[in-house]
Amino acid sequence: MSTERKKTMVVGGGIAGLTAAWELARQGVDVELVEKSPFLGGYAIQFSCKAKAGECQQCGACSVEKMLKNVVEEPNITVHLGTSVEKITGSGPFTASLAQAPAYIDPEKCTNCGVCYEKCPEKDAILRGYSKNNAPLYAIDGEKLPLIEAFAKDACPEGAISIDAQGQAFEISADAVVMATGFKPFDATIKGTYGYGKFSNVITGMDLERIKRENGTVVRPTDGKCPDKIAFIQCVGSRDERLGNLWCSKVCCPYALRTAQTIKDKAPESDISVFYMDIQNTGNNFPAFYESCKSEFRFVRNIPVDIYPLENDRVSMRYMNEEAGEAVIEEFDLVVLSHGIMPGADNPSLAELFGIELNDDGFIRGTDELNKTLTSKAGIFVAGTAEGPKTIATSMAHAGQSAREAVKYVGGA
Amino acid sequence: MTQKLSADMQEIKIATDVLVIGGGYTGVKTANEIAGLGYRAILVENGTEIGNQTAPWRMLGLPEANQKGIAELIEKAGSNGQIEVMTQTRLVEAAGVTGDFSVGLQSADETVTRKVGAIVVATDASVEPLNAAYDLELSDTVIAQSALDSMIASNADNLSGKTVAILAGFGQEGNPLVMERVFRSVLALQQLDCTVYVYVNNLKVAEDCLERLYLQSRDAGAIYFKLEKAPAVSQANGSLGISFQDPVMRQEMQLNPDVIVIEEGIQADQLNVELAGLLRIDLGPQGFLQTDNVHRFPVQSNREGIFVTGFSREIKKLTGTFVDADNAALEVKKLLGDGIITAPVNKAVVDTGKCTICLTCYRCCPHGAIYWEGDKAVISPVACQGCGICASECPMNAIQIADFSDETVMDSILENLKDSSEEPQIVAFCCQNSALEAAQMATDFNLPLPAGLKLIKVPCAGKVDIDFIMSAFAEGADGVLVLTCHDKNCKSERGNLYAGWRVSDAQRMMEEAGLEKERLRHATIASNMGSDFSAIVVDMSNKLGELGLSPIKK
Repeated sequence: MSTERKKTMVVGGGIAGLTAAWELARQGVDVELVEKSPFLGGYAIQFSCKAKAGECQQCGACSVEKMLKNVVEEPNITVHLGTSVEKITGSGPFTASLAQAPAYIDPEKCTNCGVCYEKCPEKDAILRGYSKNNAPLYAIDGEKLPLIEAFAKDACPEGAISIDAQGQAFEISADAVVMATGFKPFDATIKGTYGYGKFSNVITGMDLERIKRENGTVVRPTDGKCPDKIAFIQCVGSRDERLGNLWCSKVCCPYALRTAQTIKDKAPESDISVFYMDIQNTGNNFPAFYESCKSEFRFVRNIPVDIYPLENDRVSMRYMNEEAGEAVIEEFDLVVLSHGIMPGADNPSLAELFGIELNDDGFIRGTDELNKTLTSKAGIFVAGTAEGPKTIATSMAHAGQSAREAVKYVGGA
Repeated sequence: MTQKLSADMQEIKIATDVLVIGGGYTGVKTANEIAGLGYRAILVENGTEIGNQTAPWRMLGLPEANQKGIAELIEKAGSNGQIEVMTQTRLVEAAGVTGDFSVGLQSADETVTRKVGAIVVATDASVEPLNAAYDLELSDTVIAQSALDSMIASNADNLSGKTVAILAGFGQEGNPLVMERVFRSVLALQQLDCTVYVYVNNLKVAEDCLERLYLQSRDAGAIYFKLEKAPAVSQANGSLGISFQDPVMRQEMQLNPDVIVIEEGIQADQLNVELAGLLRIDLGPQGFLQTDNVHRFPVQSNREGIFVTGFSREIKKLTGTFVDADNAALEVKKLLGDGIITAPVNKAVVDTGKCTICLTCYRCCPHGAIYWEGDKAVISPVACQGCGICASECPMNAIQIADFSDETVMDSILENLKDSSEEPQIVAFCCQNSALEAAQMATDFNLPLPAGLKLIKVPCAGKVDIDFIMSAFAEGADGVLVLTCHDKNCKSERGNLYAGWRVSDAQRMMEEAGLEKERLRHATIASNMGSDFSAIVVDMSNKLGELGLSPIKK
C-alpha cells in the first residue's frame, strides 16, 4: 500500500455528503467537500427536534448538527462553500474545475453577531444558515447584492463584509468522487387544487419544520397563533401515478406522525387528522408508536380533492367519506402537505457532467442491487438521497458504505 | 477530594481478530469484508453450515449475478485462510472489553477461548406463519407464504388457473420485506393464470421499487382490498370462505377461493436475548439488538467494539443488511487500525484506597467499560466514554474523570458565581452533547437569554452530582437547571435518567432545608433546538423573578 495520501471529492454537503466526508477522513483519506449553497447541512439541517414529552423519537435531526460539527472541525476535510463543479476530466485521478461564488462575508472576521441580517433593508438579500457551526452563519445573496450595496458596505461592525469580493475558479484533483447531491422536495404548487403558495395556511412539511425550529412550536403563518385544527395530507407528490412518481418517499409518514405527536404534546387540545393511503413504518418501535398515534389523531384513509380559503383564515377541504360514500367538506386552521422526495433538479446535468447514469425515476442509478453506492462509472460513488429516497439514518448508513467503497477504490484498505 | 488528574496518553496493544456471530448472508458478507481489511475473522454459526439462511427467500428478486455473488461469498468464507468458520458453535462467554475480549465458543466436542478485538453480531430472524392470528389451521388449501413460494418454484401446475387469496398485515404490523414477498408471488401467480385477491391493512411500500411492483401486479389484474381489520375466514369441511365489508363498494362481500395464503411474520432471533446478556448490550424494542438511540446510527451498540448488523438490529432487505456489513467493516477498521490504540492514561481513575468493590460502578456503566481485578475495580481507558455516571454513583467517591474531576467542576461553579453583578444568578449544568450545543446556538442566533445565566459544562448529565447542585446554591445561585438529553437520546443511555433522579433527591433535600424546590429544575433538550434552550432559561428566570433572590445567599 502506498504511503502517499489519497484524496477524494465529495459533491454535496447535506447529511450524506457530511457523513461520507467524515468517514473518509477517519479512514485517512483527504476530502474536498464541495457545496453549492453557502451553507452545509442540506435539507436535513433544517429539520426540528421531534421529541415528545422529553422522549426522543429517533428522527435523527440532531445527528445532522453533530455530523456538521465533526466535519468543520476535521483538519483533513476542506470545505468549499458556494462552489459548483464546472467540469471533470480523467478517471481516477479525476481533475475537477470548480467555480466558487464570491465570499462577501469573510468567515475569519464574522462574529455571527447578526447585525447585517437584522438590519438588512431587503428581504432575503442576507441569508442566515441553520447551524451555528456553519462559518460564517450568514451569507449575502449575490443576485440581490446590487439592491443592498449601499447598506452592505458599512453594515458590519467587524468589517467582515466586502462587496467587491470576487468569485474564483480553481482546479482540484481527486482519486475518487462521492456524489451526495441530495434531493428536491416536491414542489407542492404542482398539486394545484391544494392552493399551496396561494393560501398562507396551507404549508408543506418543510415549512412546518422551519416554523418549529424558529418558534419552538407550531404556529399558523397568518396570525402566529397555535392552530386548533390541523390536517396532514400524506403522499403529496409521492406514489402519484398521474405525475409518474412511482415511489414512496419513505420519510413522510415518519416526519408527519412524529411532528403531529410533538404538536399534541405541546397543545393537547389540538385536533389532528391524518389523510393517508397507507401508513409506513417508523422503526422497530412502530407498532407501539402507531397505536399511540391512533389514540391521539383521527386517521382518514382518503386523499383529499381540493382546498378553498375561508374568510376567517381557515381553509375548507373536500374529501370523500368512505363510510358514507359521499364528499364531505371540513374546515381546518392549518393544512400540512407531506411532500415527498424528488430527484435533484441538477441530476440530468450532473449525470452528463460526470458521465453517470440516472435510473427510471431520475435518481442517480446504483448499478449493483446489493451495493447501491456503485454508479455506472468506476471511481464515482453515490451516497444518500441522490440515489433515491432515504431517511437521515439510512442516508448516513449509505454514506458510510459509499465512503468504504471509495476508500477501497483508492487503495486505502 | 483527589488531586487534579493528568491526561497523558498511552498506547495499548490490542487483539485484532474479530468475532462474527451468525453465518447467514450478512455474517458471511461481514466476515469477508473484515478478512479483506487484513484482520482474521472467526465466523460462528449455530447450524451445520454457513450461508444457510432461515429465510432463503431473501434472495427474492435479486438479479442472477447477485445470487451468484452471494454463493461466491459463502464459498470464499469457507476457503479463505483469514476466515475461521466454526459451525454448530455458540458463544457461551464474553469477558473483557474492546480490543481485549475473551470469548468462549462452544461446539459439540469442546469449548475454546479466543481473544478478539471486536465483535460483530449478525444474527438471523425467525420466520413463522401467522395462521393462528386468523384462527386458521394450515392444510392443503390454507398454506403459508413459504409453502406458496415452494409450490411456485417446483409444482406450479397445481396452482394453474386457481383463485388465490393472500392475507397479509393483520397478524403482525407488516413491513416492506413481507410486502415484497406478496407482490412477487402475486406476479408469479398471474403468470399461472390465477385470479388473485390480496387482503392487506397498510401496504408497506417504503422500500425501493415496491410501489412499482404493487402497481404492476394490480395492473395485471390482482385485486387488493385494503381493510382496517382482518376479514372473517372459514375453512370448515374443506371449503374456504372469506367475508368482509368492501370499503370501495360499501357492501358485504363473500369470496370462496381455492387457496388461501397466510402471511409469515418476521421476528427478531430469539438468540438475541441470550446474546444481549452475554455481551452486556442493551436489547431494543421487539427483541432487536439495538436500542432506539440516534447515537447508535448505524451499527453501534452501547458497548465500544461490539457492533450489530442486519436482522440483528432491524428487518430489512438484503441490500440494507449489506450496507450494515460495510459499515461494520468501516467501524472495525477505525477501531482496530494497526493493532495499537491510543488512549488517555487517566480517562477515569479508581482510587484503590477507597474502592470497596461494591460493584455499583460495574452495574451502572452503560458502556460495559468496568471490570474488576483482584480487589479493585478497573476502568478500561479504551472502552470508557468518559460520561462520569460511575463517578457520580460511586458511594465511596472513589472515581474521578480526567477532564471533569469533582475539583474541576467545583472550581467552575465557584468561578462562574464570583461575578454576581447580574441577578437572578442561574447555574445551568449542561450536557456537552445536547444542552451546551443548544446554548451556543441560542447565543449565536441572538435568542433571549437572562444576563445572570452561567453555564457549567458536564460530559453527560449523569455526572451532575447532588453535591454540585447544592454547592451552586450555597455559593449564591438563585436557581439551578440540570439540562440533559431527551430520554432515549443520551449517548450513555441513562445519564439523563440518573440526573433526573438526583434532581428529585435534591429537591427533597431543599424542601427540608426550607428552600423552594422550584429553584431547581430538570429539563431535556436536543442539540439543535436553540429556541427550546432560550424558552427554558427565560422561563426559569421569570420563575425566579416571582420567588425573589435565594434566601441562603451569602
